[in-house]
Amino acid sequence: MKIAVCLRRVPDTTTKIVIGADGVSINEAGVKFVPNPYDEYALEAAIALKDAAGSGETIVVALGEDAVQETLRTALAMGIDRAIHLQGKPSADGLENARLLAAHLASLNCDAVLFGKLAVDDYGQQTGAMVAELMGLPCATAVAKLEVSGGRATTEREVEGGVEQAGCALPAVFTCDKGLNNPRLPSLKGIMAAKKKPLDIVPVSAGSGQVAIVSLALPAERAAGRIVGEGAAAVPALLQLLTSEAKVL
Amino acid sequence: MSVVLPVQYQPPLPASMIRRDQPGAEAIELDVLVVGAGPAGLACAIELHRQSPDLTIGVLEKAGALGEHTLSGAVINPVAIRALFPDLKDEDFPFRQRVDHEGVYYLTKDGSTKVPTPPTMQNRGYYAASLCEVVRWLGEQAETMGINLFPGFPAESLFVDGERVIGVRTVPSGLDRAGEPTDVFQEPTDLVAKVVVLAEGSRGALGQAWRSWRGVGSANPQIFALGVKEVWQVTQPLDRIIHTLGWPLPAGAFGGSWCYPMGPDQVSIGLVVGLDYHDATLDVHESLQRMKLHPLFRPILEGGQLLEWGAKTIPEGGFYSLPDRLSGDGLVMVGDTAGFVDVPSLKGVHYAMESGMLAAKAIASALANAGTGDAAALSAYDQAVQASRITSDLRRTRNIRLAFKDGFAVGAIKAGLMTLTGGAFPGDRIAMPRDADVPRASQPPAEPFVPDNVLTFSKVDAVFKSGNATRDSIPSHLIVGEQVPGDVADFYAHLCPAGVYERQGDHLVVNAPNCIDCKATDVLGPRWTPREGGSGPTYRLM
Repeated sequence: MKIAVCLRRVPDTTTKIVIGADGVSINEAGVKFVPNPYDEYALEAAIALKDAAGSGETIVVALGEDAVQETLRTALAMGIDRAIHLQGKPSADGLENARLLAAHLASLNCDAVLFGKLAVDDYGQQTGAMVAELMGLPCATAVAKLEVSGGRATTEREVEGGVEQAGCALPAVFTCDKGLNNPRLPSLKGIMAAKKKPLDIVPVSAGSGQVAIVSLALPAERAAGRIVGEGAAAVPALLQLLTSEAKVL
Repeated sequence: MSVVLPVQYQPPLPASMIRRDQPGAEAIELDVLVVGAGPAGLACAIELHRQSPDLTIGVLEKAGALGEHTLSGAVINPVAIRALFPDLKDEDFPFRQRVDHEGVYYLTKDGSTKVPTPPTMQNRGYYAASLCEVVRWLGEQAETMGINLFPGFPAESLFVDGERVIGVRTVPSGLDRAGEPTDVFQEPTDLVAKVVVLAEGSRGALGQAWRSWRGVGSANPQIFALGVKEVWQVTQPLDRIIHTLGWPLPAGAFGGSWCYPMGPDQVSIGLVVGLDYHDATLDVHESLQRMKLHPLFRPILEGGQLLEWGAKTIPEGGFYSLPDRLSGDGLVMVGDTAGFVDVPSLKGVHYAMESGMLAAKAIASALANAGTGDAAALSAYDQAVQASRITSDLRRTRNIRLAFKDGFAVGAIKAGLMTLTGGAFPGDRIAMPRDADVPRASQPPAEPFVPDNVLTFSKVDAVFKSGNATRDSIPSHLIVGEQVPGDVADFYAHLCPAGVYERQGDHLVVNAPNCIDCKATDVLGPRWTPREGGSGPTYRLM
């Protein structure tokens, strides 16, 4: 089974974000970057699917500037077989990035293409589905369970109050949700082996697209908490404040 | 008033750190394994690759990413990094700014007096830096050379065969509090190497275990200080580096503070106190908090914001605390693990890097000539250190820190004479006890410290600012003595800057996940052992 995973490099979710001087990007100085956490479910799923099939190949693909190669090495250290770096600055318009990815993925002839369900840096949530559409493949998004047999996939997605099951023929595109698996950490052996795995660099140029980031702003600071009092005696005052001031009751 | 003698309640390190069983069949084979990706370990790996590009070199690091457990002032003497990268210019190094102006002040509670800068403390032409950033940069250089960096993999124990060190076992991860595997369990990995380089930093656990196993002593025991450091976003640039002596430390404690500019809008500020202090209620974190409100510092910080907080011990014993030997069969010790710190000049980073480079040369020639790291061949490293500036600098200031053991006033006069005579006064070694042998008097509690959450912060908030993201359910890595009485629990609570220890009634409560690996209680109380990789702080600016 041949499986591709599309990977994004994102700021660590515990990073304190500082808006850059241009007002439309973040200041990357001192920021730790990691693989997008949802993409880790996709990487783990790809390795598990290949293992279950008994043969095949796993390929990780990332669009970005040179720093993304470090993230690709992490994926190789987890156990992915080879990496492709689509070298270029991603567009603010997800459709332009999807076009680049789709064009390249088409040449790989994979049985499955996996994405995270979203990237935690911009929450665009569209690249996976767009790539599927551009490639003319079926797509199941936010899958929390993925099983493959006899050229077909069955998936589960957690919906409000239940589980939605779906099925499609392969090849297909899947975007992966939390709960799909427990992503493995790279092992020491994996880190050493990753240095010797192929990482192909393909220069690309994303179109400017029709979307531009107008501004970035941090969420408003939350006001400090307030201690109303202690013990049962404080409950009436708390109820009063929750009703009149916070207006949540 | 009760007296605490710390050594009475201090358990030993576990004997299991020296393993006589065989490494597993799946063990990774390397030529040289470095334990610790700090300035010493990375300089060693980089120089070794330059000397012998064909060697397979691996570097284990307990932090989840390079630099995340690294902390220093720091004003760096660039002599060693220049020697390691002779083709680069100072502007190419990841320093924050050059030191052009400096001031040393003697503080009282409300005032400060500028004093002449002692010759040993002159820093003009050196560079203020974040050592985290330097380590990340060194790591990038090492990575491009093909050196194997293993962040997130702490070394747990040394494999030995006869008198020879043959490898290392890493700490398993994914255990629950009871030590049982969870669904993310990862087995330990064994690594075998011809030479193991211990570059664990201050108070390294494997270094202690190896020295005690091989009986490697020193003229004086190693003594330590604890430094607590903060990095602040500030509203205007600081125009000089500042060092202070005196308040808020009591007369019986040796130490001082710093405040360094880190570019136009950041400063680092910290307080360092020798762990041979006599007052059981001395609390370095709280002392730093009070110090920030002093008229010398308050205007620098006011309107600013605490970005990051951290703490770390420093080996302060100097020349007479250096190990009798730095190498043995299959092993060398570099950097803070060996104690290459010169307290009078407040410098260690360039000695750490230089020792790593000297070790690299000795290892490269040992492996080229004999193919193995025998003690006889590796002793070339000992000789190289003895002939280097590390030894001559530490020898010149050999008694200065030790003169302060009986308090500050007498110490200052003695230290002045020592500096004038280039170390000839008083000539002979001043004997020092181990820090844990110094009795502490429990004073009645001073007025309680109440943080204002603007300029001053509690230990709990401080630990949050260290980025500590240790999994709550890992097994405790701290070994605590039996039946610790209430006044000793109090002593630990004040000693630990991260709020790991609390006194509840007459009992000691241990919040192990708070630990930020500073090793202060390993010196004076509960012992620190390596825990799951990636635990502890995640420093970015320290």
